[in-house]
Amino acid sequence: MKLQANSLYIERSGKQVLQGISFSVDQGQVYALLGGNGAGKSTTLLSFLGFLLPASGQALIDAKEVGADIGAARKNIAYLPESASLYEHLNAHENIEYFLQLAGSAATQAHIDGALDQVALAPDARLRKLRDYSKGMRQKVAIALAILRDTDILLLDEPTSGLDPNAIDEFHQLVRQLADKGKTILMVTHDVYGACQVADKIGLLHSGCLVGEFSAEDGNSIDTEVVHKAFSASAKSPSKISQTEPA
Amino acid sequence: MSIVNALLRETKFISKDRSVCFWMAIVISLSALSLGFGLAEVNRQQATIDKLLIVDQEDRAAQIEKQKGWGGAAYYSFHLSYDAPSDFAFAAIGLRDVQAWKHRIRMLALEGQIYERDVGNPSIALVGRFDFAFFCAFIVPLILIILLYDLRSSERNAGRFNLLEASTGQANNLWLLRASLRAGALYLCLIVPLIAAAIIAGTSTGTLILACLFVLAYILFWTALCFVVSAWQKPDAVLLMTLLGIWISTAVIIPAGARLAIDKAVTLPAGSDILMLQREAVNDAWDLPREATMNAFFERHPEWADYQAVEQSFEWQWYYAFQQVGDQKAEALSKAYRDGRLKRDKLASWAALLAPPALLERALQNLANTDIKASIRYEDSVRDYHAELRAFYYPKFFENQAFDKASLEGLPEYKAAK
Repeated sequence: MKLQANSLYIERSGKQVLQGISFSVDQGQVYALLGGNGAGKSTTLLSFLGFLLPASGQALIDAKEVGADIGAARKNIAYLPESASLYEHLNAHENIEYFLQLAGSAATQAHIDGALDQVALAPDARLRKLRDYSKGMRQKVAIALAILRDTDILLLDEPTSGLDPNAIDEFHQLVRQLADKGKTILMVTHDVYGACQVADKIGLLHSGCLVGEFSAEDGNSIDTEVVHKAFSASAKSPSKISQTEPA
Repeated sequence: MSIVNALLRETKFISKDRSVCFWMAIVISLSALSLGFGLAEVNRQQATIDKLLIVDQEDRAAQIEKQKGWGGAAYYSFHLSYDAPSDFAFAAIGLRDVQAWKHRIRMLALEGQIYERDVGNPSIALVGRFDFAFFCAFIVPLILIILLYDLRSSERNAGRFNLLEASTGQANNLWLLRASLRAGALYLCLIVPLIAAAIIAGTSTGTLILACLFVLAYILFWTALCFVVSAWQKPDAVLLMTLLGIWISTAVIIPAGARLAIDKAVTLPAGSDILMLQREAVNDAWDLPREATMNAFFERHPEWADYQAVEQSFEWQWYYAFQQVGDQKAEALSKAYRDGRLKRDKLASWAALLAPPALLERALQNLANTDIKASIRYEDSVRDYHAELRAFYYPKFFENQAFDKASLEGLPEYKAAK
């Protein structure tokens, strides 16, 4: 499935948050949206979920406008919100079961354990209530949930927030594997290095404008230094940055 | 299939929510407590009536035994009248707290006897009893508000709202299901103790079904209100204050304001005024020419108009005649009091349409026969009974029948109000 933003304008509380951004994510690709606070990254994700409808332009999933059938669009999407707060009075298994049932899917205990293994959540923690979890552990449960949804599209909002460096590396590998299996992944992050490591494309957002876009080619990753410089430059002077040489 | 699954999912989810379980425990406890109080009070009242029925007969028989004439027999005999609690009175004690539900009347002037009351603690009467109707009408909405006001906002605050809505295709169904399940659980916690108490009290099935339907409609009203308000994208405090404001308006301000307005619009004589007027009329009669009393009496009883009062000596005929004339003089005031209370009740029933808590309480009291109409029906039945006693004794007085104790076995017995 393909995600596409066409001249997407979004308003929130009378303020123009996205100002005509356009990009696309093909099946099997990871697209990382980079930007500072308030750049419009999360807003972009929410527009693909139908929480925010465009003032003009389009958010498309497989060439179908999200707003035309929000329920159908959401069925194809696993969403990992920033600082995913699952239910604290439930344990990891119960949380995952609940949210899967809510989405109309189900998983065996073995499948759930498999996903929790993938995110390296310690087995002895899985039956403890989430109120006893660290932020990183909660994030792992949320990531496991997103994996188990087994949808064609993953929207990840700051997915590595709260994870330790090892877990971040493992998560990036996991994202890569999922993309290689044909998932379409749109990820928003502050993490330039992580984005360069995992993404096929990086979009640089500043004040609601897509000020730069970088692509990996020939199986190589995007040059971190180049993106980092552009990221810093965009923060100082948000003029349009032309495509810089990919690594 | 999907509805059943969703129901099972949310039921399982709610059963693990400690705050919901806590409030359900509170509801079932208070429901059982209020019904327990009601059953105890109704049993106490019924036991009092049962005991009085025996004591009343024994006392009357003992008094009659000592008498040598009709006048004395009528004077010294007391006659029990009572308003037995209905099979649903345990759930709505209503006016049985403040209105008399038993009398021991005599052949004397009646109106004063009707408005005599047992001595009670006025501060307790002011507070009222904690019965099921009060609990349901006034406390349950507060618990529903606590359970439902942050249905969505708590998820927003916890950062789960988008995930929940993104996970389910039909987000509204989720909130509706959650609200329905919480309200449904609360309803069960209310109704199960009510059904148990109804079985103990032998409540008729029809009454119980109606009561359950009234409570259901009431819970649905507050659930719908909370559901609509909780959908506003406002801070928790705003949602809570809005719902509490509606509760205070409908449970306190509107009923209190309506009562003040109705009391001002429909003025009533006090029961004590009726008692005083009738007593003064009776006392004054001792000093009036007997003809004046007897003429007033014959207006109501022309069949005894041939009777000639004797001026010099005491006569029971004259004595009972001025007792009745005392009632006749208080009649207009008594009617104004009766009609005024019914008019106030009628207006209050209209005002209750704006105050659902008062509406439910009135509906349950109506089912339980503990409202003002039931109280007035009982007063009327006492008047009817007293009229029967007069009809029994008057021929004996005015026809100068020979005293025959055996015929007193034919004294009318009180028949409960329908």
